[in-house]
Amino acid sequence: MLEPIKNNWRILLLVVVVIGATVALFAPQFGPQTAPGEDSSEAQQGMTNLQYGLDLAGGTRVRAPLLGYTATEVDFDGDRPDDVARAVADELDGASARDVGAVAEENAVEVTDASVSESEFRAAMDASGYAYDDVRPGVTQETRDVAQSVIEGKINEAGLSGGSVQQVQSITGEYFILVEVPGEDRSDVIELLEERGTVQIDIAYPTENGTAIQEEVLIQDHFEDIGTAAQSEQGTGAYVPVTVRNTAPEGEQSPAHGFQQAVADRGFDSAYNSNQDRCDYGENPDDVSKPCLLLTVDGEVVNSFGMDPDLANSMASGSWATDGGFRLTTTEFSEAQRISINLRAGALPAELDISGQGTSRSISAAQGENYKNYSLVTGLLAVFAVAGMVFLRYREPAVALPMIVTALAEVYALLGIAALLSYPLELAVIAGFIAVVGTGVDDLVIIADEVMSEGEVNSKKVFDSRFRRAFWVIGAAAATTIIAMSPLMVLSLGDLSGFAIFTILGVLIGVLITRPAYGDILRRLLTIR
Amino acid sequence: MVAIEVPEVNYTEYSNRQLVAVPLAVLVLALAIIGGWYLVTGAPANLGLEFTGGVELRIADDGDDVEQQIETAFDRQPDSVRSIPADDVYVVTFRAADEDPGGLADDLSTQADEAGLSTNAIDQVSPSFAADTARTAIFGVALAFLGMSVLVFALFRTFVPSIAVVASAFSDLVIPVAVMNLLGIQMTLGTIAALLMIIGYSVDSDILLNNSVLRRTGEFYESVNRAMRTGVTMTLTSMAAMIVMAVVAALFGVDLLRNIGIILSVGLCADLMNTYLLNVSLLRWYKFEGVKR
Repeated sequence: MLEPIKNNWRILLLVVVVIGATVALFAPQFGPQTAPGEDSSEAQQGMTNLQYGLDLAGGTRVRAPLLGYTATEVDFDGDRPDDVARAVADELDGASARDVGAVAEENAVEVTDASVSESEFRAAMDASGYAYDDVRPGVTQETRDVAQSVIEGKINEAGLSGGSVQQVQSITGEYFILVEVPGEDRSDVIELLEERGTVQIDIAYPTENGTAIQEEVLIQDHFEDIGTAAQSEQGTGAYVPVTVRNTAPEGEQSPAHGFQQAVADRGFDSAYNSNQDRCDYGENPDDVSKPCLLLTVDGEVVNSFGMDPDLANSMASGSWATDGGFRLTTTEFSEAQRISINLRAGALPAELDISGQGTSRSISAAQGENYKNYSLVTGLLAVFAVAGMVFLRYREPAVALPMIVTALAEVYALLGIAALLSYPLELAVIAGFIAVVGTGVDDLVIIADEVMSEGEVNSKKVFDSRFRRAFWVIGAAAATTIIAMSPLMVLSLGDLSGFAIFTILGVLIGVLITRPAYGDILRRLLTIR
Repeated sequence: MVAIEVPEVNYTEYSNRQLVAVPLAVLVLALAIIGGWYLVTGAPANLGLEFTGGVELRIADDGDDVEQQIETAFDRQPDSVRSIPADDVYVVTFRAADEDPGGLADDLSTQADEAGLSTNAIDQVSPSFAADTARTAIFGVALAFLGMSVLVFALFRTFVPSIAVVASAFSDLVIPVAVMNLLGIQMTLGTIAALLMIIGYSVDSDILLNNSVLRRTGEFYESVNRAMRTGVTMTLTSMAAMIVMAVVAALFGVDLLRNIGIILSVGLCADLMNTYLLNVSLLRWYKFEGVKR
């Protein structure tokens, strides 16, 4: 009973692998993970569990460094990181303390204000008196991690499903953030990433010499319970409902109280008595007649508005802070959406330099669909070409047919692995499949020629010794292919790691599973007559 | 039905010197072309977008004279405009400007929109990233070649047969690059992948030959012919797949697949010559003269 299994285990193994691949490709359990708010049929692209990457499904990929400079091996001298950062920030003209960070674990001090040059930063480091080793472009690991999670947050908040964010390192040691968003076009993604998304509220108020501005009355950290953007009940505007935090460490004023105080001090309650009173910052920003709240994103005033008389009164009387409800109003709904996303995901700790040192690739969904069809046709024709050559050479279906079937089984198994790993298929991966068919058939040719050389194969023993000889060559050839491809797998060369990974996987499946199985098939066909 | 029969070559009619002359001449010519390219253009090959930086747009061809519109739409002169009829698109390439690399992709895509052109795909590569990619690519190819060489030496453990494999693999790499230059094909990431693939593919037939001659019993010429029968079949089948891939992908404008196809076809051709002229003659010298020393 066990004898047939033992004799044919190589073929059985191949059958098992093919069945496994079928399960991975079609069983719903192995379907792609669904994004929040997406059901499984939406996540599935086509009838299989295969995932298609940027090239074949359309989408945008952006790879860009975070702008900034980092001083390495800084001797903190026992000082607290905050103090070190403040000392360096004090030496930099125009840089806010928020743009300088000190990270004790990495012994690093960084500046994330894009307008600070390397020499300015060096000068500030020298002036601050802390010893350091060198200054390199880029930011600290901590900042990169924060940036990565902020971008992930932004992508999720913006409802772009299936997006991914990674940190990659180039050969020169520079770090890049790699963002991929399937199905979105370039402008949407870049718009989302390009702004740091620092949201703050300033107050503009009239003085004898024109408008004066009190900055950072409310900053990002002060908001909690950020609502989704909504259309105003009256008029064309939109708003984001937020709550200002009313908690603070011992002995400090809470942000809600601070804001209430500032609004009362600037006289909002006396300036806004009825709904007819309007903020006029929009018309004459240099000479306002009433105090105004300015909503700024990345330092640019997005909207200016006055205050509802009731709200102004409750602030002046000091009762508002306990509740802290507030609306950030904008003129456009899309603006409100962006602000909501920025507030929820947080601000990027440093600017992504997309237009300067960035690299982006964007493919429309239609183009992706075309690529998908074209690569399918190309792959099929390549397989036919190989099959044609094999038939022409051997003219014996008993040798040629199993050869083609095993080569196809190899590709099928690879597709199964791709589905199992949810590895997105790209053009480069398809090229890898075609390369696998090429090497696979090469090796099958070696086996067939070796086994059939030197006369008839009439016993299992003769077959086995010839098969082993063939296998030495195949093993050596497979090893060289793996060695040649392995640098691509780890070097950051775009899509090519997919090409390398699938070529190597294909070679491994070939050597370990399909080629031994082909040997067994051939043996049965040649010895049992 | 036509059958493919691998012809038996009568090597006894030619001296080693004659056999080596052809592949060496081709190798020297290829090196001269690459060297000349370097002297004239400052780069060993026609570098593509990924290695120079710039922007590539795929613009849909909706029928009404898109080529003319492309001429006028952009405030910069495109470096190249290619039409791909099978995919109904034009591929427009702009090299990165030295004076102001920033914002090029945004500007161009806005200009395309304003001119009423619909953009199917945009690729933007910054010059600094491109320089980085070029270094990484050269490093990768060098590393792969080195790894392969070490492995071949470990497998055969004799100098001449191993160096024969390494030499023909080197020539297999250099010849496609020279041919690429002559055909005006640009060096892209796809071609780098193809070059690495050549290292893997081309060594197969060399290993087969060495194995047949060194590790198997039998007379030298018989061994060579046996290896050749198998090796030529292998190379021809791979070549068939690659030529089909190159032709079909070129029709559809899938550049990555086209480039890999072309480079591998040329590399496999070069491999036929190098294996059965260069490698055979080195092996024959080793077998009949080298061993006696």
